[in-house]
Amino acid sequence: MRRVAGGLLLGFVLLALLAPSVSPNDPQVQSPDRTFAPPMRVHVRDSEGWQAPFVYRQVLVDRISRTYTDSHDVRVPLQWFVGGRLVSVAADRGPLLLCGADAVGRDLCARLAYGARLSLGVAVLGACGALLLGAWLGATAGTFGGRVDTLVMTVADFVLVLPVVYLAIVLRATRPLVMDTGEMFVLMSAIFAGAAWPDVARGVRSVVASERSRDYAEAARAVGAGPCRLVGHLLPAAYGFLRIEFVLLVPALLIAESTLSFVGFGFEGAIPSWGGLLKDSEALTAMYSAPWLLIPAVALFVVVLALQTLAGAGASAVNIDRARTHR
Amino acid sequence: MTPARTLRLAYTAVLTLVVVVFSQRCGTPQVAGDDWPVEGGRLVATFRTEPTNFNRLVDAGPVGRLSALLTQATLLRVDPTSGDLEPRLATAWTGTPDGLTWTFTLRPGLKFSDGEPFSSSDVLFTFQALYDERVGSQLGKEMQVGGLPLQVRALDDHHVVLTFPAPFGPGISILDSLPILPRHKLKAALDAGTFPAAWTASTDLSAIAGMGPFVLTEYLPAQRMLFVRNPHFWRTDEQGRTLPYLDELEVPIVPEQNAELLRMQAGQADLINSGARAEDLAMLRDAQTAGRLRLVEAGTSIDVSTFWFNLTPGAAATQQKPWLGDEIFRRALSHAINRQVIVDTVYLGAATPVYGPVTPGHGEWYVPDMGATPFDLGRARTLLTSIGLEDRDGDGVLEDTRQRPVRFSILTQRGNTDRERTSAVLQEQLRQVGIAVDVVALDVPALRGRFGSGDYEAMYYGASSNSKDPADNMGFWLSSGGFHFWNPGQSSPATAWEAALDALMQRQATTMDRADRRRLFAEAQQLLADHVPALWFAAPTITVPISARAGGATPAVISPPVLWNAEQLYITGTRR
Repeated sequence: MRRVAGGLLLGFVLLALLAPSVSPNDPQVQSPDRTFAPPMRVHVRDSEGWQAPFVYRQVLVDRISRTYTDSHDVRVPLQWFVGGRLVSVAADRGPLLLCGADAVGRDLCARLAYGARLSLGVAVLGACGALLLGAWLGATAGTFGGRVDTLVMTVADFVLVLPVVYLAIVLRATRPLVMDTGEMFVLMSAIFAGAAWPDVARGVRSVVASERSRDYAEAARAVGAGPCRLVGHLLPAAYGFLRIEFVLLVPALLIAESTLSFVGFGFEGAIPSWGGLLKDSEALTAMYSAPWLLIPAVALFVVVLALQTLAGAGASAVNIDRARTHR
Repeated sequence: MTPARTLRLAYTAVLTLVVVVFSQRCGTPQVAGDDWPVEGGRLVATFRTEPTNFNRLVDAGPVGRLSALLTQATLLRVDPTSGDLEPRLATAWTGTPDGLTWTFTLRPGLKFSDGEPFSSSDVLFTFQALYDERVGSQLGKEMQVGGLPLQVRALDDHHVVLTFPAPFGPGISILDSLPILPRHKLKAALDAGTFPAAWTASTDLSAIAGMGPFVLTEYLPAQRMLFVRNPHFWRTDEQGRTLPYLDELEVPIVPEQNAELLRMQAGQADLINSGARAEDLAMLRDAQTAGRLRLVEAGTSIDVSTFWFNLTPGAAATQQKPWLGDEIFRRALSHAINRQVIVDTVYLGAATPVYGPVTPGHGEWYVPDMGATPFDLGRARTLLTSIGLEDRDGDGVLEDTRQRPVRFSILTQRGNTDRERTSAVLQEQLRQVGIAVDVVALDVPALRGRFGSGDYEAMYYGASSNSKDPADNMGFWLSSGGFHFWNPGQSSPATAWEAALDALMQRQATTMDRADRRRLFAEAQQLLADHVPALWFAAPTITVPISARAGGATPAVISPPVLWNAEQLYITGTRR
């Protein structure tokens, strides 16, 4: 199970990293005659026998009911590694729509891949920021104790009671209406890091506080280690916890990013992110006649499930390690 | 979020999805009954807006209009499907040759829903309330001619004389929007200065009386309004049967269009309060095939979303980007936009390309191809180059003479898929000529706030209209109007062409000859097309879904498309 989850996750990471290469089309280009077009089927056999992989050209039959049919007159062979793309079709035969098209005829496959970059990127960067901030503050509180501990934990408690999504919406509203993708990426990551650190800090603080009274910490203090140096000795005890926190935070922030983009406070509409892509599927009819618009939701579901599975496996491993250590 | 909680949420989401899809596929088809008017029964018509006031003089919005249509009556009515004047509380009227003075004969023997008799004193009272400054009625402001109120006096209990302060083109059709209110119920409130609070959403409903087909008997906030037959309603059908046919009309408050459709699919609603979105037509067609409902095409909408730049003098947008205020720039944009693509992509073909605010739905006022700017990228590029906008660094985006990229933002309405998608199409089409566009979707209050403060560059939004007559939409055409989007509320016309436009529109509004009015209005449209202060792209076709059991509906392009004629609605094949 853990391997399957890891494989799936790796697949999505590669999809994000190689988005320009694996996308059959430009994610921004609209095809008016392909609005809500269904995914194309790849064929390897027709009436003449086995063939190199090909698709049939989609023909719009009825625009209102979004009915498309395959034109069986001409095979459209898939092109491999042409124009820097893993797979595509000739420009005059396109577009190749392996996951279908959205409401304005953009390739959902390309937008899913490019969306993975932003959605996963923001979640990972936000989680890393939360871990760094939380680990530093938690270790400081655990090591120093006393007023520092009280102060840090009070602030953490305050941030914890704030609803993350609403906080993000408020913080986003303080920024200019128009932000470029890079600025938005950094802003969202910073907001998530700022909202998610308290859980990390509490965990690290409790680990460090319990380690502080152990013999090796006493020994370090006895040989003159100051608080900063002591943190360096105590923090490794929280590595297992931080690892688990990371795999728990990434899916939570992935969902938070998708929620923000879905409600319109995330990336601008033309910029693909998974939450933004789901906006097209919010209409009742999307589920009825264009269920492929839910592919980003499936991707989100799979990634979150994979990360949760890895988190579960990681937690078990940490518990076993701890049990061995205490023996 | 713990793994267990995430999994629970995920499973819940999947289950919800399955239930929703299953419920759509498995709805019990209803078989249409015999289509004849049969008295009795209840129909359900959804409505989106929560009422705050049931008095049309106080609430000029959709709730006030709906409430007036169902519970009140006017002296006459303009049939929104034919444009003909119909007698209502007045049985006849005669006018002087100059069209300034009209004498109305009131229908005898009428009673309000509470049994009190109706007389000319109620008409006088309504006009008194309409123009009372303490009421501050928006309708009162609209029902003025040249800034002066209409004068009304009674000859006796059954005759009133109405005098216009100046010639007015639409004439007495202006009375279509004025419900005649019960003096005996509201006089004390008007005298005490509490008229606006007399019929609020928290008022005891027995305080509300009218001469419309229904009486409001129940209002549950955020849930529904229930209207029952007015026992004193005066109108009969051709067979002499008393209208309305229905015993009850239930109006659940459903703020979301998806929820409205779900209700229709499940047989819990017979009518929705607007046309169907193009993207919903496929599903509705299937429901029609299954016999659950029928789709009726009302015609081309008279409400077209407008794209405009902020041309208010001194606006930051045009200070920083002077080309936004250049007519040539706007004309270039118009050439760069393929309206047929918007029709095909956004409206799935169920719309008509338009180049101005007047659509085929406006009937006699529409001039085909007025101001048409054909899609021509070459022409667009030439125009842009002529004002110094060129791609100087080869990055695919134009720069102005100060080397700044030609980039602007469009604010549009969040949640309105037509507007959001049109903005996305504009973004892509303008990219083809090197113009970078950022689309920002905002909630309506935020959007209106930005419009009011002038803090925006371009906006894609619109307002709905209750009349096809241009004289009823002066707020858009006059430079002083609040809906003169690009530069609203001007104290004096900012440009010579707007001064000319004002003069043309004032003339057409005060001209009594219909042909002259059409000619003057065509000139006004041409002036607008010549100066391109705003752009229009597509007018959607209004298609109204009606449940199979609801009969008597004659949908119109003016909102509400079906309930304007609620007294004629009936349940097919139902016998009492």
